[in-house]
Amino acid sequence: MKVCIDSVSKMFQNVRALDVVSVEFAAGEIHSLVGENGAGKSTLVRIITGVHRPDSGVVKLDGNPVRFGSPRDALAAGIGAVHQERNLIPHFSVGENILLERLPTGNGFVDYKAIDARASEMLDILDPGIDVRSDVSSMSVAHMQLIEIAKALSLNARALLFDEPTDSITKHGAAALVKVLRRLSSAGVAIVFVSHKLDEVLVFSDRVSVLRGGRVVASNEPIAEMSRPRLVSLMIGREERIAQIGHGCGVIGDVALELTSVATSYGHRGIDLTLRKTEVLGLYGLVGAGRTEHARAIVGVGKIISGEVVVRGRRVTVHNPYEALARHRIGYVSEDRKDEGLILSHGVRSNIAMTVWRAIASMFKLLNRTTEATVANSYVRKLAIRISSLDQMVSTLSGGNQQKVSIAKWLAAATDTLILDEPTVGIDIKTKVELHELIDELARQDQTDLLQLERGCLA
Amino acid sequence: MIALRRLLETEWGGLALIFGLGGGAAGLLSASFFTEFNIYVMLRSGCVGILVAFAQMIVLAVGQMNLAVGALGGLVAVLFGAMLEVLDLPLPVAIALALLIGVAGGLFNGVLTAGTGIGSFIVTLASGSMFTGINVGISQSKPFHGIPAEFVAFGDARWSFMPALLWPSLIVAPLLAIFLYRLTPGRRLLAVGGNAHAAELSGISPGAMVILAHAISGGLAGLAAVLAVAQLGAAQPEIGATWLLISFAGPIIGGASLNGGRISILGAMFAVLVIALIENLLVIVMVDPYWVQFTLGALLLTTVGLNQWRATHAARA
Repeated sequence: MKVCIDSVSKMFQNVRALDVVSVEFAAGEIHSLVGENGAGKSTLVRIITGVHRPDSGVVKLDGNPVRFGSPRDALAAGIGAVHQERNLIPHFSVGENILLERLPTGNGFVDYKAIDARASEMLDILDPGIDVRSDVSSMSVAHMQLIEIAKALSLNARALLFDEPTDSITKHGAAALVKVLRRLSSAGVAIVFVSHKLDEVLVFSDRVSVLRGGRVVASNEPIAEMSRPRLVSLMIGREERIAQIGHGCGVIGDVALELTSVATSYGHRGIDLTLRKTEVLGLYGLVGAGRTEHARAIVGVGKIISGEVVVRGRRVTVHNPYEALARHRIGYVSEDRKDEGLILSHGVRSNIAMTVWRAIASMFKLLNRTTEATVANSYVRKLAIRISSLDQMVSTLSGGNQQKVSIAKWLAAATDTLILDEPTVGIDIKTKVELHELIDELARQDQTDLLQLERGCLA
Repeated sequence: MIALRRLLETEWGGLALIFGLGGGAAGLLSASFFTEFNIYVMLRSGCVGILVAFAQMIVLAVGQMNLAVGALGGLVAVLFGAMLEVLDLPLPVAIALALLIGVAGGLFNGVLTAGTGIGSFIVTLASGSMFTGINVGISQSKPFHGIPAEFVAFGDARWSFMPALLWPSLIVAPLLAIFLYRLTPGRRLLAVGGNAHAAELSGISPGAMVILAHAISGGLAGLAAVLAVAQLGAAQPEIGATWLLISFAGPIIGGASLNGGRISILGAMFAVLVIALIENLLVIVMVDPYWVQFTLGALLLTTVGLNQWRATHAARA
């Protein structure tokens, strides 16, 4: 099926998400859609799948204009999708999630045996290790993503859209996916692949279109005529810059945080780690390796069940994040900024000042908006956060600026040690470079020691 | 031992055990507990509550709540009484109409919630007040006594310690189980409760499921009201006034999630029976009636706490 986007525009609260966008996704082709965060890729996917309606312009399927009122209409028209956020029903089995809206029945009753059989048929191609009968709530993010992909593949759709499908799955899973997509596309399915992993895009797409700031800057380009530098310059509007960071400074500081044969309630065993003052220590591992859990155990979200934790020379037990901050001056910037890093419905001002409310309150424990503003403003300037006003709701900021706010909050708290969990997750290339420089600067000039967790890149 | 552990891992197992052990303890405390008649009295006091709990549970399943369960029950009860006393309708017709009125009230809640996007909390808070208003307006706060004798007799009937009033619950429970676990609309209803956005992206209409859940809830509240009339022997306008607590306590103690998508039918049943047992015990050990309400609340907290503890420990083991 050919999916044709003809001059589609979409506004969200005065922000032009899509500005007269025209692209064509041909049958039998894998078409990658790339662009920075906030370029409008997901909005475009949501319009094609009936989640959003365009303000103007039309979507045509094989030349016929369609107007979807809900995702249901798009599904009925043969359009399947894997959206960026995970969309599974907790406490339902893997199989039932895959066949959710078209459960096989016998005599009117849901036939669970048929569910298991049909679901595993599809899932086995991607990862035979997943049991279709188990509850999805107990699954890792990587497995959840595979389950959603299996769900989309099982639709027998004539057009399939994937919004960053390989974000957290393993290399093996990604390879299996690509194989399936190849087969589907040669059977005449139009495949749209949204990704920010450019290497992946270059390897297996047939065509690529680039979005920047809601506009199409490159449309239906054959992949043979593309290169990574060209894609990057199209995406960000100029050449890619590499972060200006020196390599490991010569001065070795005192030990700030030391773990000796630590075991945690999450199942880590025998962890030794030494973080020195003013250094940035990277902690690397694939999805599911346990980096996040490890960080959480340090700040007291999980439990350290044995071993020794020494913070600046003193042996300590951290019971909860409040203690970590107030007593041991350790901060934790979560990788999940939407759920754990920010209060999305509050303004920039209170999000940044939150960690210092106690410190800046006046003698009657009253908070002064001006003091709050002074604190917030200084970090907005320092981190170059782009906001319209201090009271702008954080939910309306772009991913990169949200991340900066969630880091600013911890900088305001003036912690000595900061644990950054995937600080550049879901952030565009330009902001990523800025963040890397910022992290480097923090360590050198502000005497903060950092533990940075990064997940392994698959591409 | 393994069987016991399996039992404890289910949502209702712990409650069944509490019910059994509590009953045993009660028997030791007082000779009058294990009389056929006392067991009957205790079970009979839970019959209406089980259906009230189911009425709330089905709405919790779709991720909403129904604060109008009691008010709708009261309205159905007086209309049922009026149909029998004033209109002199035959009993089966009156029962059928009563259930239909319940469904209609539920549909009203469901359509308003799904159609306007106003939360079910506010919609049912307001509609509950409206239902009570109609109830009071029609009944003038006076009960209808013209209930056929055979229906009142059904309310008192028993076979050994089994009250006849328990039958409707014993029929409704498996029907609900089949609906929620084996039929497509039931699965969709639970899916919407578990993650409405994901269900919608899969082409399921959350609005339709919300309306369905409220309609079933209304029907169950209607059935509970009809049974309450049989139990009391009169269609009293106060029926339903005290249902709110049990409607939430039953499903929640039973293991339902307030966030939706997760319920336990047996859990809710046993939770109501445990509460009935506790009330019965309080009478037997002669707790000052003025303190029964307090004791009940405290015991509810304890039971929920114990169940939570059990759930987290079962998950870890």
